[in-house]
Amino acid sequence: MAEYRLLTKDFGTEGLQTLKGYERAGGYQALRTVFGKFTPASLVDEVKTSGLRGRGGAGFPTGTKWSFLPQGVMPRYLCCNADESEPGCFKDRYLMDNSPHQLIEGVLLGSYAVQSNISFIYIRGEYRDQRLLLERAVEEARAAGYIGKNILKSGFDCDIIVHGGAGAYICGEETALLDSLEGYRGQPRLKPPFPAVKGLYGKPTVVNNVETLSTLPHIVLRGGEWFKSIGVEGSTGTRVFCCSGHINRPGSYEMQLGTPIRELLDEECGGMLPGSELKAFQPGGGSMQVLLPQHVDLPLDMNAVQKAGSSLGAGAMVFMDQTACLVDYSMRLVDFYEHESCGKCVPCREGTYFQSQLMHKLESGLATAAELATLTDICSNMDGRCFCPLGDTATWFVMSAYKYFRDEFESHCGAGECPVKARTRAQAA
Amino acid sequence: MASGAPPVKGGSAGGVPPQDDGRVGVTIDGRQVRVPKGTLVLDAAAGLGIHIPIYCSHPKMEPVAVCRMCLVTIEKFPKPQPACATYVSEGMVVSTGDADVVKLREGMLEFLLVNHPLDCPVCDRGGECDLQDFTFRYGPSISRFPITEKVHFNKALPLSEHIELDQERCILCWRCVRYYDEITGEKEIVLQQRGVQTLVGTFNEQPLQSRFQGNLPEVCPVGALTHREYRFVARPWELQRTAGVCPECSYGCNLNIDARDFEIKRFASRDNPLVEDMWLCDRGRYSVPRWNSTERVRRAALHPRHGEARDVATGEAIAQAATELRHVIEESGPASVGVIGSAANTNEELFLLERLARNVIGTANIDHQLSTFAGISAAEHELGIAEIEECDLIVVLGPEPENEAPVLTLRLFKAEHKRGRTVRRLRPDPHPAEVASLRGDAGFVGIIADESNRERAAQVAAHLAGRGTVKRLTVTRGVNGRGAKDLGLLPNVLPGYVAARPAGAGGADILEAAARGEIKALVLLGPSSALQAAGDVLVRAVSRAASVVVIDTVPSEVTAHATVLIPGHAIVEKIGSVTNLEGRVQRVRPALPPATQTPAETRVLTALAAELGAADWPGGDPVSVNRALRAALPAYAAAGNGGRALWRVQVPA
Repeated sequence: MAEYRLLTKDFGTEGLQTLKGYERAGGYQALRTVFGKFTPASLVDEVKTSGLRGRGGAGFPTGTKWSFLPQGVMPRYLCCNADESEPGCFKDRYLMDNSPHQLIEGVLLGSYAVQSNISFIYIRGEYRDQRLLLERAVEEARAAGYIGKNILKSGFDCDIIVHGGAGAYICGEETALLDSLEGYRGQPRLKPPFPAVKGLYGKPTVVNNVETLSTLPHIVLRGGEWFKSIGVEGSTGTRVFCCSGHINRPGSYEMQLGTPIRELLDEECGGMLPGSELKAFQPGGGSMQVLLPQHVDLPLDMNAVQKAGSSLGAGAMVFMDQTACLVDYSMRLVDFYEHESCGKCVPCREGTYFQSQLMHKLESGLATAAELATLTDICSNMDGRCFCPLGDTATWFVMSAYKYFRDEFESHCGAGECPVKARTRAQAA
Repeated sequence: MASGAPPVKGGSAGGVPPQDDGRVGVTIDGRQVRVPKGTLVLDAAAGLGIHIPIYCSHPKMEPVAVCRMCLVTIEKFPKPQPACATYVSEGMVVSTGDADVVKLREGMLEFLLVNHPLDCPVCDRGGECDLQDFTFRYGPSISRFPITEKVHFNKALPLSEHIELDQERCILCWRCVRYYDEITGEKEIVLQQRGVQTLVGTFNEQPLQSRFQGNLPEVCPVGALTHREYRFVARPWELQRTAGVCPECSYGCNLNIDARDFEIKRFASRDNPLVEDMWLCDRGRYSVPRWNSTERVRRAALHPRHGEARDVATGEAIAQAATELRHVIEESGPASVGVIGSAANTNEELFLLERLARNVIGTANIDHQLSTFAGISAAEHELGIAEIEECDLIVVLGPEPENEAPVLTLRLFKAEHKRGRTVRRLRPDPHPAEVASLRGDAGFVGIIADESNRERAAQVAAHLAGRGTVKRLTVTRGVNGRGAKDLGLLPNVLPGYVAARPAGAGGADILEAAARGEIKALVLLGPSSALQAAGDVLVRAVSRAASVVVIDTVPSEVTAHATVLIPGHAIVEKIGSVTNLEGRVQRVRPALPPATQTPAETRVLTALAAELGAADWPGGDPVSVNRALRAALPAYAAAGNGGRALWRVQVPA
């Protein structure tokens, strides 16, 4: 098993970003057939059958999520979460850059399944080019009758609105996304009620990731059973992994789930850089726990990685070699969360700031052992106490790195400088 | 439950599943309790006397669960849950004191203090600050955060003439933001920036405009929002607190009067969900300087029309008043005496004044205001404040009701936005088409008007009659305007809205008759400020009448022309009861010693009545008078203290 191109099959084809190019490659066939083939309810069942799980990070089964919408409450909304901001993550950008129409078709299929007549694509503010590309694509699709009233004479109406965020990581959290979309401060909402019951403008709403929705045309065309045959039990289909770090070929690679991580690293990414040796890797983006070289034999399977103490998260793989300082890496991540904390709840707002102050001291070799103990203690005071996962996840990498690389953390205490950087410098000299 | 144990009332004894009585059984810290479905864990614990610290949670607002201070462990939940936002369910097992909770509270307080300036010694909130109190009770004894790294913001930012904001002390509980969102709907305070830089403030730094901003320092759990008037004024433990009623209007908001050194330092809210629902208006809250004013009538005095003015003992003044009144009655008959009380006297004083006028002096010329209310009946005072929330439709005539009694606005907002009721604000003189359009809304209708539009309100009520229940509420003027009407301080109505036959002259007529020389003696129980509106007539009346007996608190033209002047006690200095616009009889208590050494009005009126030969007179102390009042008026006996005096309403045929 190696790369398995389903979503990315036609990527690189001339003009795929345009409607004509997408149609030439077989685009919108799923939309053309869906109305005859499925009722909204049977489409939800088909997606349930496929075993498709959300690609945004939490991995919640998509069909099940859709089935939580209360019967008969209208209007309903579908929101595509394109606020990809996870450190190390760029697979949604890759999908939107190469095939905006595939996403639009997915949004339309999802909207049909949940009976949303107005659907939104909430795209990260910094993804300006992608937003313009999507807006153009929406216009093209509208002109071609794929979007709007009575789509393809099916009687189904759906409009799609592309909305750009304003540069906040928290707006990738689904309820913060909804608040932001409604024009409020992007801050997570109290749950319950969950968006499925009370979401956008207080109406039943589903929020799905770009990759999740981009997968839908393929499920509609080839069936849930077929999709389920790819991948492994509990992790069906393919996923796009965006790989970075000390590797030869950083980039996005679509893999059949269940493939060993080693294959992704060695074959697609071309292995570690010359002279580099894998020290650690983060399998799911900035929020997820660090794993060790022995874990590269794990399959790309959400459950298996979870059992190993981390998660495939949003599919961002960061590989680190011996020159990477885990304290430094932790500090940068903590700074990110400190900067991105929305400030709504106390442990996240104050905790990330506290963490950041301590991490900077630790990384510069000025912290005492007592301060290192304080750092881990405040992490434990944050984890599981915060309003939303942002604050919880701000501690996960630090705590896992501390677990696996405790010596490295302790050697920073009172060292006066970063010992890993000092060693690297000495070796280079 | 072990077999053989006695069955517990309401429990699930003998393994029989509990009946669905709308309640669920929960266990909190090993103690079992059955509470109504939809109860928050926080409230269920409070019912057991178990304290859970909160900052963001507020009894009058929706939960937001941002401070994370109330996290408790609940069996089967993987993570601690906020007690302020988690509803009980059958069989829930909650722990509020286990090692996890103890540690997380310590952790949360450490986080709260990370960027807190710890300036308690100069903070107005010190001594009544939840952050201070919970830190003592649940917090760590030391901070591990280096003090040099604290984030700094504005420390004394005026948001308006009343409110000051200290952005460093703010713990971002959002209560002020939610107060403006959920209670007043004015949305004046917003959150700005994000993360550790998050601030509360006003948009574009514009000043607060609300008429209810004085509630902000009370919803703030720390010293971030403070009263500018109370800045550096007192420590809470130095204050003597008296439960009182706001003297500013007839809404009857419950409040606490905090005094020190014979001065009122502040009015603080005292939650009565049936009246003000814990929210005061700024007009009432910041009326404090008026009650601390030293400009007062302090000594009894005689100012004979011929001869020298002199200060006298109260007894002499009362005797002189009796002599003058007897003289006028003998010379010209009792109808030449006019008696005017005020809407700022207690029920007990007004009860005695009405008896003095009608029974002792024998005059029908009695009032407490200038204008005469034709056809006044209990029907215009029927709707209760809390009942507003139950109305399907509430019609408010003109802006006056909400100007007279500002807190009414908040009840209307609650009815409209929390209870989904329809509130229609019409012109005081609504177009017939507008009134006609109301016919479609059947059910329970409330009509609210001020006194000047009471007749129009009656017309609207008549239009809607027969379409379900229609109840009216008239916003009376003066703290006890309603009591004065109930007690018959009106020329056309005896106590209990019984028609007076024949009717006497009303306030304005009394003054004009006195100015013309027809009424020769005036008995004025003040404050007489409401009479000032009569202007020139008032001055001519008090200058011309042969005898002007004035009992008043503040020097004025009236007191200057009194032939007999006796000092009164301000409403914050005496004991008694007042009746709010919906008929709720509420007690007032002395928060300050009287500004004068003379006896209170009830004793003065009793002595005067005795001098005039009154029989069957209750004792002069307020308690005895109150007892007599209740005996005379069954509605007041039924109301007790804090209940509503309800009169049988005659439905107009």
